[in-house]
Amino acid sequence: MAAPFSYEQAQRIAEVFSKYSVRYLFIGKSGAIILGFPDTTQDADLFVKKSTENGQAIVSALLDLGFPITNAQQKEIERGKDFVQLRSGPFDLDLIFAPDGIETFEGAESRSLKVQGLPVCHIDDIIQSKEATNRVKDRESLPRLKAFREWWLINH
Amino acid sequence: MNSQQKEWNLDFQAAAKRSLKERMRYSFIKTYKPVLDDVPYRSFDTMAEYRKWCEQNLPNWLGYGRSL
Repeated sequence: MAAPFSYEQAQRIAEVFSKYSVRYLFIGKSGAIILGFPDTTQDADLFVKKSTENGQAIVSALLDLGFPITNAQQKEIERGKDFVQLRSGPFDLDLIFAPDGIETFEGAESRSLKVQGLPVCHIDDIIQSKEATNRVKDRESLPRLKAFREWWLINH
Repeated sequence: MNSQQKEWNLDFQAAAKRSLKERMRYSFIKTYKPVLDDVPYRSFDTMAEYRKWCEQNLPNWLGYGRSL
């Protein structure tokens, strides 16, 4: 089992994804945490643009980061699945190509912001995605996340 | 503002005083999640397919389903 995701690993993602020009955004609770939301989570969730070019860049970046993905898995990522879960690398990573509640990557990217070099979805997109997903664990965290949104908008 | 919101706002203010590195150290944890962590790689063509898989295969208490 991988160790918890760390600041250094997030910075390494930013470095390597930039090297291969991967278009991505931190999303989900991991994104909210980067924005300042004090809560706990287990995985890093990345919203990645679904295109062959970006898929190829993602594969190159994952291999560079040390994820042991097979040729078949590389082809799947290049083709663009909607959701890929990686549990074999230096940290656990979820790649989300089509998050619920967000229409386009371009739209989310235009609303995103950078926190110490880490591209992050806007808090409204994070909330919208969790509302659309509507899992038990999302419903439990949404009231506090919405309160954080109110606080964050006033203080940023 | 109710007492719950006031308490949360104090949490948010306290967190804002910490560095990103420190916040991430406190926030990212790792515990074993049955089924979910049992294979090195998993992929789904659609999010609907993924949600359905979660509902059918993960223990309810993990919270990945839409109802408990």
